Amino acid sequence: MRTPAPSSTRQNLLCAAALGLVFLCAPFPRVQPVVHVLLVLALAPRAGAPLASALWAGAAGWALESSLRLYPHMGGTPWADMSVALLAGWMAGRWPLEGLKGWLARLASLLALHALLVHGAVRLASGSHPWGTGWLWAALTLPLWGWAVWRLMYSGPSPRLG
Amino acid sequence: MTVHKSRWGWRHGRWQGLFLALLWLGHGGWVMLGPDPGRHWTGLTDALARPSQGLASRWEQWRSSRREAARSFAETRAENLRLAAELAQLRTQAAQDGPRLAEADAVLQLLGLKQQIPLELKAARVIFSTRPATFGGLILDRGADLGLVPDQGVLAPEGIVGRLWSVGPTQAKVLPADAPNASVAVMLMRSRATGVMQGMGSGRAQIRYISNQEVVQVGEAVLTSGLDRVFPRGLLVGYVGEVVPGDLELRIQVNLSAPLDRISAVLLLPSQPPLEVQPPFVAPVQKPPRKRGTP
Repeated sequence: MRTPAPSSTRQNLLCAAALGLVFLCAPFPRVQPVVHVLLVLALAPRAGAPLASALWAGAAGWALESSLRLYPHMGGTPWADMSVALLAGWMAGRWPLEGLKGWLARLASLLALHALLVHGAVRLASGSHPWGTGWLWAALTLPLWGWAVWRLMYSGPSPRLG
Repeated sequence: MTVHKSRWGWRHGRWQGLFLALLWLGHGGWVMLGPDPGRHWTGLTDALARPSQGLASRWEQWRSSRREAARSFAETRAENLRLAAELAQLRTQAAQDGPRLAEADAVLQLLGLKQQIPLELKAARVIFSTRPATFGGLILDRGADLGLVPDQGVLAPEGIVGRLWSVGPTQAKVLPADAPNASVAVMLMRSRATGVMQGMGSGRAQIRYISNQEVVQVGEAVLTSGLDRVFPRGLLVGYVGEVVPGDLELRIQVNLSAPLDRISAVLLLPSQPPLEVQPPFVAPVQKPPRKRGTP
């Protein structure tokens, strides 16, 4: 059974809320990466709307880098975020979701790819930099925020269903 | 299905795709620029400016080399002119110093002769020659002021010149050995036969009073015998040029060895010198004692 896609309004509202959280979580370096990954991998991708996905993912990346103010040449994180979000949207269209387990597994694989791609892009843009522990916190909390997003977007009350 | 078209005829999806591609590619390009984007522009401008810089450097190098070559040519030319002027000056100086150098050589030869003859010799310079005239001779620049007296023997490094004929206060006149009224007691080197040499003019003289029995060879050296008490024994006079046997004696013609026409300085023997003089005693140089064990 295919899971129906959420409404674009709800998804955009959730994306806006997550983007605000990325800014607000700047003083908390262990929480901000989790919110950022949540926005990029779980909220922004949408099948059939690659532009919106890329814009939300890019905004998340620019919000993270601009709040960090660490890199001499920014742009690596937004580019990696857009790339992963486009891939995730294409995967959502190509292989529609069928359950929570598949959703979590897809998020885990995308999380690993996202961590590698962000590190490589930032390395290209700004030079070598430490890995940090953001990817670790995001991976550890993946079941939590994956389940939450699943509940909010795919298994919750749908406006179309009333 | 309704297809929404934009104002220029494209669908919204195509515009969205184009915008998305530009967004993604722009971010990717921005990332690829790296940590110092300005260096790419700097490298690009450097690469573009490299040919013109190479041309400019070559042009400047060619100009500098040409300027250097012109300068070196001018310097070489100026140095050439300076060396030519210096060479002309040196040649003039050498021409001016030639007589003085010849005189210096003659003086050196006189000095060597003076060291060979252990007598108190005096030197004088020939300032004039009247030999072409009748009873002519050589005029010296020293006279009674140097203690000269008549009948002193006059020497040159090549051989005897003659004797003092007259002495003035500051000048003296030499009677050459080839003068017709000059006579010198001589002897032949091999046969040791003695005779009297009388001048015949033009650097020649004739030996008399040598018996027909003597064997005389052409080219034999003629020395002073010391019997006239003007010259000591053994001074070179000349060489036998011709030997003609006569009725009682040989007629021996002698070519004087001293160049009487080209003498510039002479030595004067003391008056009444000893009959025979010995060469100066020179002590042999003693070698340092050889140490035992050294080769």
